[in-house]
Amino acid sequence: MVDSLFQPLNIFLLGLGGGFLIPLLYKIAKPLPAVGFIIALLGMTVISGVCLWSVHHGGSTIEVLTAGSVPPFSINLRFGPWEGFFSVCVNVVAMLGAWHLWGRLHASYPALLLYLILTMGINGMVMTRDLFNQFVFLEIVSIGTYGLLGFERTPAALAASFKYIMATVLASSFFLLGAGLLYHVTGTLNIDDMIANRALIIGPIGVTALLLVLSCLVLELKPFPANGWGLDVYETANSGIAALVSVGVSAGVFFALFKLLPLFEDHLGMLALSGGITFLFSNLVGLRQTSVQRMLGYSSIAQMGLLTLALALLQQLGAEQALPLVVGGLFINHLIAKAGLFWLAGIVERREVDGWSDVAGNPVLLSILAVFVVAIAGLPPFPGFWAKWELVMQAAAGERYIWIAVILVGSLLEAAYMFRWFKQATRPLPGETKISPTPGRLVPVLVCAALLFAGGYAAASLAGAASLLLVAPLVVGVGLYMLDWLPGRAKCVLMLAAVLVVGWWIVRDIDGLRRLFAVLLLAGGLVIAFASLYRSDARGGFYPMMAILLLSIASLLRAATSLEFFFHWELITLSSYFLIAQRREAHPYVLQFLLFSLVSAFCLLAGFGIAATANGTTALAAFATAGPDAAPAFMLLAIGFLIKAGAVGVHVWLPGAYAEADDDLSAMLSAVISKVAVFGLFMVTYLAIRSQVGLEMAHVMGWIGLLTTIAGAVMALQQSDIKRMLGYSSMSQIGYIITAIALMSHLGWVTAFYLVANHLMVKGILFLAAAGVILATGTRLLDQTGGLARKMPLTFAAVVIALISMSGLPPLAGFGGKWLLLSAMTDRGWYGLAIVGVLATFIGFLYMFRLAYSIFLGPQKTAYEEVREAPWPLLVPQFVLILAIFVLSFFPKLLMDPVSAAIDPYFASTLVWQGMSLETIYGYWNPVPVMAFSVAAAVVLLALFLLIYRAGWGRSIPVSTSHFYGFYRLVFAPLVTPVANFVWDGVCSLTIGLAGLVRRIYTGNGQTYALQVLCYVIVLYLLGTLRLTAG
Amino acid sequence: MGVPISQILLTTGFLLVLIGFWGILRHRNILRIIIGFSLIDTGMHIVLVATGYITGGTAPIIDEALGIKEAATRTVDPIPAALVVTAIVIGFSVTAIMLSFAIRLHATRKTLSIDALTESKW
Repeated sequence: MVDSLFQPLNIFLLGLGGGFLIPLLYKIAKPLPAVGFIIALLGMTVISGVCLWSVHHGGSTIEVLTAGSVPPFSINLRFGPWEGFFSVCVNVVAMLGAWHLWGRLHASYPALLLYLILTMGINGMVMTRDLFNQFVFLEIVSIGTYGLLGFERTPAALAASFKYIMATVLASSFFLLGAGLLYHVTGTLNIDDMIANRALIIGPIGVTALLLVLSCLVLELKPFPANGWGLDVYETANSGIAALVSVGVSAGVFFALFKLLPLFEDHLGMLALSGGITFLFSNLVGLRQTSVQRMLGYSSIAQMGLLTLALALLQQLGAEQALPLVVGGLFINHLIAKAGLFWLAGIVERREVDGWSDVAGNPVLLSILAVFVVAIAGLPPFPGFWAKWELVMQAAAGERYIWIAVILVGSLLEAAYMFRWFKQATRPLPGETKISPTPGRLVPVLVCAALLFAGGYAAASLAGAASLLLVAPLVVGVGLYMLDWLPGRAKCVLMLAAVLVVGWWIVRDIDGLRRLFAVLLLAGGLVIAFASLYRSDARGGFYPMMAILLLSIASLLRAATSLEFFFHWELITLSSYFLIAQRREAHPYVLQFLLFSLVSAFCLLAGFGIAATANGTTALAAFATAGPDAAPAFMLLAIGFLIKAGAVGVHVWLPGAYAEADDDLSAMLSAVISKVAVFGLFMVTYLAIRSQVGLEMAHVMGWIGLLTTIAGAVMALQQSDIKRMLGYSSMSQIGYIITAIALMSHLGWVTAFYLVANHLMVKGILFLAAAGVILATGTRLLDQTGGLARKMPLTFAAVVIALISMSGLPPLAGFGGKWLLLSAMTDRGWYGLAIVGVLATFIGFLYMFRLAYSIFLGPQKTAYEEVREAPWPLLVPQFVLILAIFVLSFFPKLLMDPVSAAIDPYFASTLVWQGMSLETIYGYWNPVPVMAFSVAAAVVLLALFLLIYRAGWGRSIPVSTSHFYGFYRLVFAPLVTPVANFVWDGVCSLTIGLAGLVRRIYTGNGQTYALQVLCYVIVLYLLGTLRLTAG
Repeated sequence: MGVPISQILLTTGFLLVLIGFWGILRHRNILRIIIGFSLIDTGMHIVLVATGYITGGTAPIIDEALGIKEAATRTVDPIPAALVVTAIVIGFSVTAIMLSFAIRLHATRKTLSIDALTESKW
């Protein structure tokens, strides 16, 4: 009894029966159709769910025979794991969609009827095993869609629907002809028989028939450029209907393609090409959209293209075992997130992206939007992330590098317009009207958000990565988010405690260099995060994100595989993005920050893919023994980390983000987060050790490092804003570290770590001190402050110590670092670099002195009579860090020995360090000659600068410090022409210009669209018969 | 005995399809475009029926005149005809829907020209 109740055939019984009953019920009583509809839809969903459950738990695939006979004499249906998965997904979304559309649906019984038939039709497209039946279900779905589209009465919607009908009717006529001809050549309509008799489909009729069927399915997925008709409907239809077309109808069509794929073995290359082009160009044109639904339409079409590409590519590579994760993951990610986004668009009711500022006041809507946008962009922890990872890994294994590039560029473009939309939604405008939908309206989107998290966990399990350690940062973040109603300081304390406990638990049993980084970054992160106590405001969402950020760093250091590493890398990117976006003034810079971070991440993804192929495993430990094949991977990975480290040329994201973030967050970004990229560089340089090419690339990296140092220093000198100056200074200091790593020698690496520790402490102090000054004076401009030394003595002392340590003056840690670096460079024979390094250090002195002078010394400004010392939560971390600097300076062995020991194993066989132990290097540290040399170098350079100054200004001695700086800022001004900005702006406007050009093909004319559809079929036919893209 | 009947049917069918395409792409009037679609449909139906034809075949009705053994070789294939019957029904309903859209479109903008339907583009 129960078995016969939960039978897939009953889905059709309910769908059709319910559909036919609804008019009758309406005659009986007005509310009855709604009741019947709910029962039928719920029944369909429950049946598909129960069937999938039983199939999944050991049951065999359910074969449904009809008409009392066996195929091919009757139509049969199949309900296996794949069919079940698609059917359940579609039914669940249909149910949520009905909830969203309820106001419209229950007002008219024809709408109920059509909705039910449409849902049933999609189920049929998924389950049927008969080619003609496939056509019938396709038409049922199409007619249902036309009908529902007709409920929108605006002229634009009617026009769009008519164009949609024209295109899809054309496509389905090709299916009909193709199916008929396939029957002609194979003598069967049963799909399984047809696949078994694949060899019969030859000759002009057979091939044409196959290509006609394929063309129809590809066209129904709205391929670029023959898809203007689909876009117009997405733009003008009711959000609920658009969602159903975008995810439901597309799911049915995609599944038809999926099940017929064995027939198209010869045309996989063509299919991949179609999908790839669609993904890339739809996302490109999406950049130009201002209408929310049209933009979502472009994204929908792009995602379908990606699915097609993934399916064809995996099939070509023979990687069927990856299908569940890649195709399943991409499908469910798009299904839930896109449906959710369309519904959200319907709830908010702002057609244009600009209008979404009104959402800014509603944190619930904003959070949901964030979840969906992150999911669509393929970022963790959602299923799309895992699927894209696996897809890139498979493509790399099959050496399909062009497709990797297409996937990554397309994803970047998609993220660009999605996050631009999100940015708009987070920016409150004056005179906004607050949007506050009733909780009932929000149920579908809330369920979608929850399903996305669940789907993410399922995908992670499928990828073999799910573990408590992996999700620990997110779990803590969600836990803290639940407590977000507490007062700010309480939340801060809770966050610190959680990070301390969980962070310690995460890193407790790792060793080597990773342990050192873990201790340093976790401790440093906690100390700096402590400073957040100086603010008493609530800072909604800040502390949970901070916890996720710090714990992700800990987890990243613990990662054993590149997948775990990349997962946490993306989490760090996302959490820093959301943290920076908290401050309204940072809004102009967050998108730039995110996009550069994503470019960096995608370089890493490609690099990890190639590395996994070269190493044969995703284990990070294999990097240490990688062969020369890994050199290209090294290049990509190094580029990725250099972008994130803010190397010159790709540094443009850095100053804005550092300067406009919250003051305590800037300290965190500069001191702690920038070190994550440094750790990455450490990790991947192993890849380069074993090949000559690799070592040469490392030399290039050394130059990039020092150029970054000089550029950073010169730009820091130009700044009049404290935080911008510190941001550029950070860039400059990271440059030294990059060079030290690039040395690829034991000494270089010890130096690099030493510099990392020093920079963490120094920048932590300086940014926190800046926070104190800004709090006291209310300005960030150097020229407006002055003479604060007496008012803020503790801050002043901290800044002086930090500056001494950073500049490399004896006796503090920076001096040791610089000295080690110079020794290591001369050791390797990089004299050119050594000389540039000395020059860079001197320019560094100039801006650092200016920083201390203009804030704390110089004439006191009357406006700051009442200024007080910074509050203790800001001072405590500074002094803890000063203590650390002293320890580092006077007991360097405490750090050096473990670092040396941690690095040794990796160099044991490959790079012999020139026979000197660290003791002897430190033995070199005879302070007298060293100090004499440094002082001499400094004096010579200062004399030189004064000489140039005199020649240029015509005075014997500087009249004042500000004159001196004025002169040199002028001299250096040509050097800091924002070339990099010009280049990146150029790239941006070129891309957007191209998008504007490409979208001209969407003329809006139905006949043009029909012509495009016909041409698309002809092109596919030619490609298919000429076998140009056979694969 | 001249040109086989299936050839004539195939030619007619494809000709109708081509005329239909021409109608869709050339005519601006929505009603004419809908007629174009009907022509395509009809053309395809004729082609499909033609594919099942066997020269000199008889109706697929097994009775005294036609034994089961001969059925496979002497009858025309009934399946394409069955498919076409279904396709005609579907084509009919699609045409009906298109016409109803045409009525609504005319009601909202008092014209049947497809050139007027370009509100959304790019």
